[in-house]
Amino acid sequence: MSIAVIHGGLAASPPPPEPEPATPNYLNNNYGIWSWLTTVDHKRIGILYLISISIFFIGGGIAAGVVRTNLLSSTGAIVTEDAYNRAFTAHGVLMLFFFLIPAVPAVLGNFLIPMMIGAKDLAFPKLNLASWYVFIAGAACSTWAILAGGIDTGWTLYPPYSTRASQANVVPGILGVFISGFSSIMTGLNIMVTVHKMRCPGMTWGRLPLFVWSLYGTSLIQLLGTPVIAVTLILMGTERISGVGIFDPSIGGDPLLFQHLFWFYSHPAVYIMILPGMGVVSEVLTCFSRKNIFGYHAVAWSSMGIAVVGFMLWAHHMFVAGISFYSALLFSFLSMLVAVPSAIKVFNWTATLYRGSITFQAPMLFALGFVVLFVIGGLTGLFLATLGTDIHLHDTYFVVAHFHFVMVGGMVMGYFAGLHFWWPKMTGRMYSDWWSRVAASIIIVGFFLTFIPQFILGYHGMPRRSPNYAPEFQIYNVMSTAGASILGLGYLLPACYLSLSLFFGDRATANPWSATGLEWVSASPPTVFNFEFTPVVVCGPYEYAIGVDQLGRGLPEPPGPGSADDPASRDGPTGPAGPMKKETEVVG
Amino acid sequence: MSSLLPFIPTMASTFAVKFEILFWYITIVTGIAGLAVYAGMLYFCVRYRRSATSGSTPRILGSTRLEIAWTVLPMFLFFSFFGWGAVVFNHAAHPPADAMEVFVIGKQWMWKAQYSTGHRVIIGGNPRNMNEVERQSIGRLVLPVNRPVKITLTSEDVIHDFGVPAFRSKIDVLPGRYTTVWYHPTRIGEYHIYCDQYCGTWHSLMVGKIAVVGEQEFDEFLYGIQPLQGTENPVDGSLAQEGRQLFLKLQCVTCHSANAVAKAPVLEGLYGTRVPLKGGGAEVADEAYILESILKPRAKIVSGWEPIMPSYEGQITADDQAALVAYIRSMKRGTTPDVTAQFPAPNGAPTERPKQPASPGGK
Repeated sequence: MSIAVIHGGLAASPPPPEPEPATPNYLNNNYGIWSWLTTVDHKRIGILYLISISIFFIGGGIAAGVVRTNLLSSTGAIVTEDAYNRAFTAHGVLMLFFFLIPAVPAVLGNFLIPMMIGAKDLAFPKLNLASWYVFIAGAACSTWAILAGGIDTGWTLYPPYSTRASQANVVPGILGVFISGFSSIMTGLNIMVTVHKMRCPGMTWGRLPLFVWSLYGTSLIQLLGTPVIAVTLILMGTERISGVGIFDPSIGGDPLLFQHLFWFYSHPAVYIMILPGMGVVSEVLTCFSRKNIFGYHAVAWSSMGIAVVGFMLWAHHMFVAGISFYSALLFSFLSMLVAVPSAIKVFNWTATLYRGSITFQAPMLFALGFVVLFVIGGLTGLFLATLGTDIHLHDTYFVVAHFHFVMVGGMVMGYFAGLHFWWPKMTGRMYSDWWSRVAASIIIVGFFLTFIPQFILGYHGMPRRSPNYAPEFQIYNVMSTAGASILGLGYLLPACYLSLSLFFGDRATANPWSATGLEWVSASPPTVFNFEFTPVVVCGPYEYAIGVDQLGRGLPEPPGPGSADDPASRDGPTGPAGPMKKETEVVG
Repeated sequence: MSSLLPFIPTMASTFAVKFEILFWYITIVTGIAGLAVYAGMLYFCVRYRRSATSGSTPRILGSTRLEIAWTVLPMFLFFSFFGWGAVVFNHAAHPPADAMEVFVIGKQWMWKAQYSTGHRVIIGGNPRNMNEVERQSIGRLVLPVNRPVKITLTSEDVIHDFGVPAFRSKIDVLPGRYTTVWYHPTRIGEYHIYCDQYCGTWHSLMVGKIAVVGEQEFDEFLYGIQPLQGTENPVDGSLAQEGRQLFLKLQCVTCHSANAVAKAPVLEGLYGTRVPLKGGGAEVADEAYILESILKPRAKIVSGWEPIMPSYEGQITADDQAALVAYIRSMKRGTTPDVTAQFPAPNGAPTERPKQPASPGGK
């Protein structure tokens, strides 16, 4: 062993470190702040987005910390009611509009979509850069509104409170959301056009990785839904500034009109947030179980089904808001339909694990965590889509717990799975395997401890957005806050080991996970134009069983237990047909 | 720190029972489905971990039969939730024709209720947003047990939501339009009202109480002799409250005051007691006795007092007599008005806010 050699040969100086080969890649192609701020490289723009949304995640997380700490006492432990209202609004606005919506589409989507379909870049590289500037402009506007006095309307901004009664910075806040919406539209448009027009030879629709399918569905929603929120926010700003009656009944408006318009965007927007996470999970589960995805077409079309049906059920947020009995029936029925494609995905993911050869690195733990938490988030959604139960559960902590299970348990886990999966590709560095597994475990446990008590609180009727609450609810709020502190610790860990990996991490090989996607054909980190040659795709995306990537070339040995001493791995070089020893059984 | 909440929250209405059965149906079905998925995942993760396999995997692409099965089966379960939920919702959305009516108004940050009989109660809110009179009359919404009640709601300013967890009920309260909700309370007790729609700074203190009482207590509450709404005085709009106004107006309070130099006996807690009479004997203070003492005060003099009270015979109408008797019946210990007490305006009356220094904390 090498340790013995070092101990035995103190006199012999260790071999000088090899000079690192300065292979040209997108990171070292050129340097300096201007090379980043004027880049049109989709990978660099992805990194710009990654840095930006990480800042907003921290900001939203601090606001969540204020909220949860304040809830330790039934009369507000640390801040006044006004400050609490501003804190939960800041949490919602930052997390939803400036973290969750851009998280996977703008970071991972930007970085990976061209690579996955064998393209040099997105269809409109300059539009892509413009989208980041627009995002930053909008985010700066909203952040200023939050810091300079705050917004106290909740992220849902219901008038007439927001247009008449609120004394806070509503207009700059919604202006920021309005502006950043254009960034979302630009990214969606770019991804859609790219997927349509830029696929490399052989990359048929039936061979697209499921991540691309899910982002295609996401882009459809971004493109069609975001203009509606833009219109809504303009109307709202008009009413607030000029007093033209649109939503406020005292000047001739209709408050339910706002709710219809708002949810027409904001309900599909939750699918903007969750669909990309589902795409990530499909990539990660197949890779770490070394299996083809079970039911490729079912998973792909269920993404499209969610994207389309997701537009038809906005009013299920309004069952007790004063809508008619029959529209409540209709929207409840349609809400049941959207649960079906989500269920299909979960069953297919589970079936993918069957007869796999599973390892549990951090991306896999996060992806499994996604499925576990998303199952609870999705199933509890059925209680809210059912009319008879929504009457009681609406606007209680049950709703809060439900959407955190989907948005955080689902989407943030999916984002972390993706970040850990593609981190070696994006940075060229491996992070600590042990610490990343620890972080994934802590996050899953902390998440359960935080949000399961909230289901109980909601079932007992505790209203959301309440700094003062009945004393009998206190014990569960204390439990939830305790869990949240564990969760917060879990989120700090990746920030540490991922940052450290940039400086101390091992260099990543081109394909450290032995994955099949085209993005792994390129070096880690990739060269500026992604590929040295135009890839020609010959097979589907998840041929782990045969052991070939989409170019038909053999895969390297997957990492994990047994890869060093397993006789199978000693077969060494992987030829064009993959490890020759591999027996392949074709089923289905 | 309080103890744990009960496993199932108090069910105080017929709808609460319907809700619970549906809730637990969905919980059990989704629980079984979720646990089955977890069991499958756990089994596969353990059974097919890398070290337990040869490293090679079969190329399984899918199964149309399974896809159809796990599309159709969940869909039928989801539709069963929808159907059952629609039936329960139908029950909640359509009040019976014979329901008693109560009107509730929400505003930042208080709830006010008006009964169709004219009674008015402030049923909760943030004391800091109220004037002195309102603050003193924060009470509860009193409802009779086993009688359907329909609540019609509207808001004076922004959107609120009238949520009663014990009834498993919730309805948004909108400015500029009416919404309705109904209950059939089945259990006597006191229950929370929450504002479930965020409405500004003191949203979390826009809370109130519902008191479900027996039929007889409810009648006594309406009459004004049982202040079940939670304040000391008879409920606004009741006969006894009317009597209280007369008690002040006719200057009864000047002599029948609660202070040490009173010229006449304090009437608190008088009703139903045995009153010792001057010259021996005693008399139970019932309605007849009270009325006689108003009309013919010198007929029976309470032991220890001088016969100085003027007769009100011919001075007040029979209606007023009934109101005064009801008020005297209702008087509880410590509720005799201050001699300097103003006429309180009825709750909810369109009055200007009294000119007084801003109350602490309020805006």
